[in-house]
Amino acid sequence: MRSPTAADVAPVEVEEPSIDTTLKVDQPWIVLVWNDPINLMSYVTYVLQKVFGYSHEKAESLMLDVHEKGRAVVSNGSKEKAELDVFRLHEHGLWATMQQD
Amino acid sequence: MAFGFKRTIQSKGPDRFIINLRDDLREVIAAVCDDVLAALDDENAPERDPMLRRVFPVAHASDESVNEAYRDLVHSDLLRTRREALERVSATARDTELDRATLETWMIGLNTVRLVLGTRLDVSEDGFPQLEPDDPELPAWALYEFLGVLVGTVVDALARTV
Repeated sequence: MRSPTAADVAPVEVEEPSIDTTLKVDQPWIVLVWNDPINLMSYVTYVLQKVFGYSHEKAESLMLDVHEKGRAVVSNGSKEKAELDVFRLHEHGLWATMQQD
Repeated sequence: MAFGFKRTIQSKGPDRFIINLRDDLREVIAAVCDDVLAALDDENAPERDPMLRRVFPVAHASDESVNEAYRDLVHSDLLRTRREALERVSATARDTELDRATLETWMIGLNTVRLVLGTRLDVSEDGFPQLEPDDPELPAWALYEFLGVLVGTVVDALARTV
C-alpha cells in the first residue's frame, strides 16, 4: 500500500437535494461504503469502477476516503436506486448501507 | 503461487488470462469454495449464521424496517449469485486459461471465501497476528493470506486490462 497524495483525497461530489424537495419521501438516499479490514484496497477500487463506471481516479479517491475516514458516500438517488446500488455492492462483498440524506 | 519467473496471472489481451498455479493450490481453491458452498447449504437461515454475516450484510445501519424490506427483496438473489460464483470457481479451478467473465467470478468467489474466513479469524486492521508455529489457527491464517495475495493478483490482472 502506498501513501495517498493530495489528489487522492479530493472531496467527493455529492448532489445536493433541490430546495423545493420538501416531502421526506422525495429526499434522496445516499449509499455509503464502510471501511473493513478484509477487503483489499485494490479490490474496493476495482469494484467501484465496475459497479458505477467511475474512472480509476474517482474510484481510488473514494476508496481512500473509506480507508482513512471510515466511510464514503459512493452514490445517491431514489430509494429504489439506492437499494439496487447496495445490492450490487453486497454482491461484491463490500460493506455498504443506505440512508435517507 | 508460481514461485518461478512467470506471473501467476498473465493477460493475453482483455479477455484471455493464463493462470500459472501449482496443482495443489488449485485443489485448495476448489476445496475452500466447496466448503463455503456447504456452509450456505447447511443452514436453514444462512443469513443468521454469524460466520456468514459479511456475506449477507444489512442494508441500513439502524433501521430494521429498511433491513427487512431489503432482505425480502434481495436475499434469494444474493444467495443464488453467491452460489453460482462459488460453483463456477470450483468448477474452473483446474483450468489454465480463463476468459474475463470467469476471472471476475474468481475475484468475487475468492473474496467471498476471504469474507467468511476473515470473519471466523476476527481479522482486524492489525493484520497477521504473532502466532506460535503450533498454533491451531496458523493454517487458517496461512490460507487467508494466500487468498489475499491471489485476489490481489486477480484484481491487478483485471485492472491493467480494463
